[in-house]
Amino acid sequence: MTPATHFAEREHLICTVSRIIEEEKSYWVGGGGEPLYSILLAQRLYSSGVQYMTEDGVIAPQSMMPLDPLMTMVASRAGYRALQWGSMNTAGNFAQLGYVDVGILNTLQVDRYGNVNSTVLGEYEGGRGRRFGGPGGADTIAAQCWRTILMTDQQKRKFVDRVDFISSPGFLDGPGAREKVGLPVGTGPWRVFTPWAMFGYEDKSCELMLMAISPFVTVDMVLEEMSFTPKLAAKIETLDPPTEEELEIIRTQLDTDGQTTGRGQWIEKREGQYVFAETQGRE
Amino acid sequence: MEILAEGQGEYFPPDPDGFRAWVRDHKPRTLVNKMMNEHEAIEKFVSDGDYLAYDCNYFQRGPSSLIREVIRQKKKDLWICGKFTYVALALLVEGGCARKADIGFVGFGPWLSKAVAEGRLQTYEYSNVVMTYRLQAGAQGLPFIGVRSFGGTDGFLKSGAKLVNDPFSGKPVVLLPALNPDVSIIHVHQADVYGNARIFGTGISHVDCALASKRVILSAEEIIETDEFRRDPARTAIAHFTVDAVVHVPFGAYPGTVQGHYASDVKHVVECFGGMMRGDLHPYLEKWVYSVDSHTEMLEKRVGWKNLQALQRRETIREGYSI
Repeated sequence: MTPATHFAEREHLICTVSRIIEEEKSYWVGGGGEPLYSILLAQRLYSSGVQYMTEDGVIAPQSMMPLDPLMTMVASRAGYRALQWGSMNTAGNFAQLGYVDVGILNTLQVDRYGNVNSTVLGEYEGGRGRRFGGPGGADTIAAQCWRTILMTDQQKRKFVDRVDFISSPGFLDGPGAREKVGLPVGTGPWRVFTPWAMFGYEDKSCELMLMAISPFVTVDMVLEEMSFTPKLAAKIETLDPPTEEELEIIRTQLDTDGQTTGRGQWIEKREGQYVFAETQGRE
Repeated sequence: MEILAEGQGEYFPPDPDGFRAWVRDHKPRTLVNKMMNEHEAIEKFVSDGDYLAYDCNYFQRGPSSLIREVIRQKKKDLWICGKFTYVALALLVEGGCARKADIGFVGFGPWLSKAVAEGRLQTYEYSNVVMTYRLQAGAQGLPFIGVRSFGGTDGFLKSGAKLVNDPFSGKPVVLLPALNPDVSIIHVHQADVYGNARIFGTGISHVDCALASKRVILSAEEIIETDEFRRDPARTAIAHFTVDAVVHVPFGAYPGTVQGHYASDVKHVVECFGGMMRGDLHPYLEKWVYSVDSHTEMLEKRVGWKNLQALQRRETIREGYSI
């Protein structure tokens, strides 16, 4: 495995998540993009037998990549060589029964307690805010998978003290809140990954906790791109950069046209340090 | 049963006895030929003010030609089951057809945001699986269904759901109102003239949509003999007596894909999705809906058989689709 010297920040994100995928766990991958690429990269390099399902009831496919734009579900390449084809309630039932260990989701906005907003930025009432698609399958994933992994960008407007609208549940108001509204016991948010950092949650308070940062940023840079101050782990680790082997798979097999990874900043290794390739900080 | 919390959203009210009476009075028990063209089917079975569900969506094995026909006939005040949707709701709103929508997932963009802000579209918030569970309850003839998700969300507050103490365990559980749409439109791989139908590959909620809806219109890529169903009954997804109309529509999901038959038309998908995201779908409807009289005319004049054959060739996977 050769550490890469030039990569996009979203490539780094996908590589980081792919390394924590565990072969003996089952996954529900929400939509396409980074969540799907993370598990497919894991299958190709780290945990070849890991099984995932998608919202349309595709169980354990061996998908044929790349996919046409938006064709991540109810499409032959996405569901190729699955073990079972069902419907949306097949996926919902598996999750509700406890068969799905980990859900992986992209999100628009996340808060201190891991609540997820994919409905509206700004005010809901009167249609004053900017509308987005709604939870889709994310509400079920966040409610019923044993653990939930969120993927998003490190931006102040994405990390807010309280989301504008809870589309999918995190820990809601804190410890014990999920059970009071009928969500299954022992479930909940687990990790949030951005190109810059990895977060978990503090056990006692259920609050978001910074655990690790990418080698091309500092803790202060991460905190600067959050609207609230998270808990800090006793020791903040530094994540490994992508490897050339990982990048080759992403670029030649997964996101071949760069639709997902092409956005965001590039990183390069200069004088032994990982730094942003063009401008320091965000454009 | 004590109600702990309840959503304030208007919901399409379940009426299991009313539904049974509808079935008794309207659904034929014998094998009746239900073939008709898309114009007749939509004219006869979709009325202004209906609650309309479609299975899958405009890009993925959805009843795209029937959605265009609803727009062409300028149906009004529809309440849309907005699960698993990229552009269908935006098209229906642009066409002046939709007034209300239950949202699971819907591509929004500035056009629908504007429609909501101006009060032309009223939305109620759910999630995809919450909507398909509502359909499942409707398909079972039940008034409601319990679900272990959705509680604690802001969507719950804008929905017809209630949080109660389960009378058996005493623990909190969310109840969803069953959904029995006035009409469902479903695109299938194969049907016979009576409405028996097969779907290969995954879907969203086609079986429940057919069972739960008062009226059901199928569009089918292929019409096959009833004897084919008798030879392999395990593969019948939809039973004939739930169905009111069968329309033979090759490329019925165009510009979307039908697994095993044809790939999506990427250029068209981008044109349509882009129109929605730019907030300007009128030229799209003019070109693909209003300026042509039928699906067949649209395919001939706007797409061309050569391009359609290319989409068939791009769909290389056959395993599992019996084609």
